[in-house]
Amino acid sequence: MTDTTTRPSGSDTDIKGPGYRVWFDAPSRTVHFEGVLRLSTSEYKPIEDMLDRVLLASPSLGLRMTELQFLNSSGINLLYKFAIAARKKGDTEITVHGSSTIPWQGKSLPNLKKFLPTIVIQVD
Amino acid sequence: MDGIIGEYKEPTDAGPRVTLVFYPGAFPVKWNQCSVAADFFAEYFADVGEGGLTEEAERRDFVGSVGYVLNELIENAVKFCAGGTVVIDAGVDAGEFVVVVSNQIATAAVDGLRVKFAELLDGDPAELLMQRVEENAANPELTTSGLGFLTMLSDYKARLGWRFDPAPGNPDNALLKTTARLQVKSS
Repeated sequence: MTDTTTRPSGSDTDIKGPGYRVWFDAPSRTVHFEGVLRLSTSEYKPIEDMLDRVLLASPSLGLRMTELQFLNSSGINLLYKFAIAARKKGDTEITVHGSSTIPWQGKSLPNLKKFLPTIVIQVD
Repeated sequence: MDGIIGEYKEPTDAGPRVTLVFYPGAFPVKWNQCSVAADFFAEYFADVGEGGLTEEAERRDFVGSVGYVLNELIENAVKFCAGGTVVIDAGVDAGEFVVVVSNQIATAAVDGLRVKFAELLDGDPAELLMQRVEENAANPELTTSGLGFLTMLSDYKARLGWRFDPAPGNPDNALLKTTARLQVKSS
């Protein structure tokens, strides 16, 4: 029997795994991050590919983190690298929606501004 | 080989303390079990340490910080474990959460790690973090982010230390003990 417990499933704009979901809502041009993301660096690849694709298709983009309870350092790396990719692309309007009741967001989201000074961080 | 880098401290029996031992040789630790173990420690110590954290915001911050730091340390120990056990020994004493996570590594890796750990503590963590992320973005083939200790230092103000000892019964391995300390109530 194959162990599929840590494999993501779903389409290339709706990535689901045990305890998490990352999906792109095309009408609002928003990527929703939900649950607990503590994957290994290589396991983030499908999410990284999706972020690259939506950034290419749409320079105006929202990242909704208000349902993302935990993110490990490999996931933080993914977010910061996305900010650098947006900076290199230029002319992007990226808004991150965070929550003041989720501790990692208050600690690690502000760093996004160092990689992408034009990013807007909205904390509910 | 012996030696200490940074501020090395072990938990004591003066306050609540829990030790968990994994035996990955017989039963490998699945990646998501790092998260489960980290959350257990975070939830446990939020409730027992010095009467527990009664303020909702304080409790949330403690669980978030301890959960993050421990998950990173356990992920490292599981990922780099070269045999033997993975031990998590944590306690709360005098307003401080202290954890030591131990795993064996190849003796040949010790010198490189010693340099790496010393560099982490010598530089400005916020600047080192910036540099490392820019390097990661420029080198997509890298398989580790290298941000675990840097985020602990920069974003969580954790105090870190490392200790190298000979691994009991295995001359090819060294025992690496990593310690992290966090204030229970962040000011």
